[in-house]
Amino acid sequence: MRIEKCYFCSAPVYPGHGMAFVRNDCKVFQFCRSKCHKSFKKKRNPRKTRWTKSFRKASGKELTVDNSLEFEKRRNIPVKYNRELWSKTVVAMKKVEAIKQKRQARFIMNRLKKCKELEKAADITEIKKNIHLIKAPHAGQAKQLEDKMVQKLAEDVEMDE
Amino acid sequence: MALYNFKKIMVVPTAKDFIDLTLSKTQRKTPTVVHKHYQIHRIRHFYMRKVKFTQQNYHDRLSQILTDFPKLDDIHPFYADLMNVLYDKDHYKLALGQINIAKNLIDNVAKDYVRLMKYGDSLYRCKQLKRAALGRMCTILKRQKQSLEYLEQVRQHLSRLPTIDPNTRTLLLCGYPNVGKSSFINKVTRADVEVQPYAFTTKSLFVGHMDYKYLRWQVVDTPGILDHPLEERNTIEMQAITALAHLRAAVLYIMDLSEQCGHTLSQQLELFNNIRPLFANKPLIVMANKCDVRKISELSEENQKIISDLIAEEITVIETSSLTEEGVMLVKTEACDQLLAHRVDSKMKGKKVHDVLNRLHLAMPNKRDQKERPPFIPDGALVRKKAMETDAPKRKLERDLEVELGDDYTLDLQKYWDLMNPDERQDRVPEIWEGHNIADYIDPEIMKRLEDLEREEELREKAGEYDSEEETEDEEMQEIRQLANQIREKRKLKILESREKDTKGPRMPRTAKKVERGTLEKDMSDLGLDMTDKDDSHYARRSRSLVRKRKREVSAPPTSRTRSQSASRPPRDQSGVRDVKMFKKAKLMMKNSQKEMNRQGKKGEADRHVFDLKPKHLFSGKRKSGSTSRR
Repeated sequence: MRIEKCYFCSAPVYPGHGMAFVRNDCKVFQFCRSKCHKSFKKKRNPRKTRWTKSFRKASGKELTVDNSLEFEKRRNIPVKYNRELWSKTVVAMKKVEAIKQKRQARFIMNRLKKCKELEKAADITEIKKNIHLIKAPHAGQAKQLEDKMVQKLAEDVEMDE
Repeated sequence: MALYNFKKIMVVPTAKDFIDLTLSKTQRKTPTVVHKHYQIHRIRHFYMRKVKFTQQNYHDRLSQILTDFPKLDDIHPFYADLMNVLYDKDHYKLALGQINIAKNLIDNVAKDYVRLMKYGDSLYRCKQLKRAALGRMCTILKRQKQSLEYLEQVRQHLSRLPTIDPNTRTLLLCGYPNVGKSSFINKVTRADVEVQPYAFTTKSLFVGHMDYKYLRWQVVDTPGILDHPLEERNTIEMQAITALAHLRAAVLYIMDLSEQCGHTLSQQLELFNNIRPLFANKPLIVMANKCDVRKISELSEENQKIISDLIAEEITVIETSSLTEEGVMLVKTEACDQLLAHRVDSKMKGKKVHDVLNRLHLAMPNKRDQKERPPFIPDGALVRKKAMETDAPKRKLERDLEVELGDDYTLDLQKYWDLMNPDERQDRVPEIWEGHNIADYIDPEIMKRLEDLEREEELREKAGEYDSEEETEDEEMQEIRQLANQIREKRKLKILESREKDTKGPRMPRTAKKVERGTLEKDMSDLGLDMTDKDDSHYARRSRSLVRKRKREVSAPPTSRTRSQSASRPPRDQSGVRDVKMFKKAKLMMKNSQKEMNRQGKKGEADRHVFDLKPKHLFSGKRKSGSTSRR
């Protein structure tokens, strides 16, 4: 029993789900649901369909090259069953999975960090352009003028004295 | 000579059939229409053709008969003799001779009549000639009726003869009737010869085949022979004699120890001595048959002496019983071995051998050193051979296990797995975990790689890659962000307000709507301006506001122009209006006059535009192109 990968969206296809299509050149295509199957029949390119994993990997939105990704690989040479190897593998698999998740998350966060600077710059320009919507340009000026006049009068008085 | 395929002889038709056949053929295959008025050569040709055609047919058919039937001089003497015994050589030859003569006669007749036809001068004459010719040919054939019948019978019998190859290895069984020859052949080969308690059950030769030492052997069963001189023998016995005389075979003379065949042992010995000359140059074995009834040791003294005499003459005597199969194998092997030895001997004495011998060379390798090099037989082979000889119990099959366990049986193929650790065979192997196939991770070096990965991860953590960066935003940036958010919100609100405007209705100038003092002051204070204490401001003073009552004064000319102008002018809707009542009425009148115009949506009095609410081009015509989703 094997969990296959959907050809279109790279989702896991569990046994009893989805559909398989065998082409005349003996290449087998597994699909997880009819959405992927229909898109395939419409000859859509999964690398250009934005919601698929292959698009995300091809356009650099997700982690592609990493050591932790090399562990899960389809091997063509079977290895004879050996209890300790299998149990070790299960343990290792869980650890590798944890590390992989961490690294993938870190990759995405790094990508999104650049947004912060852009946001800051956008805020500043926004304020510069449209501050008049919140604050009248001459908002505190009357008071300032008054203060200044008061100050000046005070000075005059002082000078007189 | 070659194939002894007597089955390929064509059927010989009876005389009557033959004639009918040929004549109807002539009628069908030659043109049928001829008229008196045709040219004479054409008529002659027509009838000549018929005569020749008939002659041709007879000739072909008869020649075929002559060639199909075997010439007694050309075939193996065994078959020649056999045919002589069965069909009488003279009669056979005569019959064929008659056929030949008939053929020649028919040819002559045809020749003559064709010659005569040349002088036929009318249709009638030619026709009569043709009739005569055909008639004569048919009469000739009618006279051959007897020969044709005889040949047909010969053909039928010939096709049923057993195919005995006179040159190959053969075992010949002979003896008195009822001694057990047919039982022996049934035992040894796959032949199924009739075995009955009466004498002369077997009336002709029978062949069976068996294998020995990777060679094919013929076993020929003969009818029994009685003891009388050659001239008095009947056809059935003669067949046996013929076989004995011509086939180069090993002879198995079968004697009946129990004398159940109806003849004593001494009579059998007599017969044996009589046909002794026929056994010259042939390996001989005497089978003392029916030993289950009486053994040699149980015989009387005289009979035992007979047997011992035979043995003394260096003839192999073997006790057998076709019933219990005792000694049958022994006889077979003995006979075959003797015959093979004999054949090899005779071949070696012949001339052809030297050709072959000269071309053969047996290479014997010289001994290189004194080392012993015996043939290598692996242990497994020896064990298996021993197991084959003894009745070793076979290994337990899955089927036996199934039968044993009955309902509890489950097919467990995992027990045949070839693992490094055999007691792991019954493990339930995990295949899937959380959407991943475990088989994709299996790698003998996985622990090493995992260690490397973990080390790398540690390094990364130390380098601070995973630290969550708390962005210490200074207050300034926070303020900026807040302000920017406020601005954005305000903008959105304004946009929404602007969308709620009524753009389709009449466009009123900004000054038409009175601005409330409260809202103005609120908006401005939101924008940060100080709106307290604004009672004296220009918008709060009631300039030119409505006065309740105005005294009518004599309109004295104003003292100075500028003064008069600086004095406030009454607004137009108040000038000339006495009091409030009049004012109200005036206003009412104004509104009333405007109602009708407003109702008709006119801009004013001068608006005389006529709207075209139902343009003709949209409300006339048939439904042509365009959608008809509405009716």
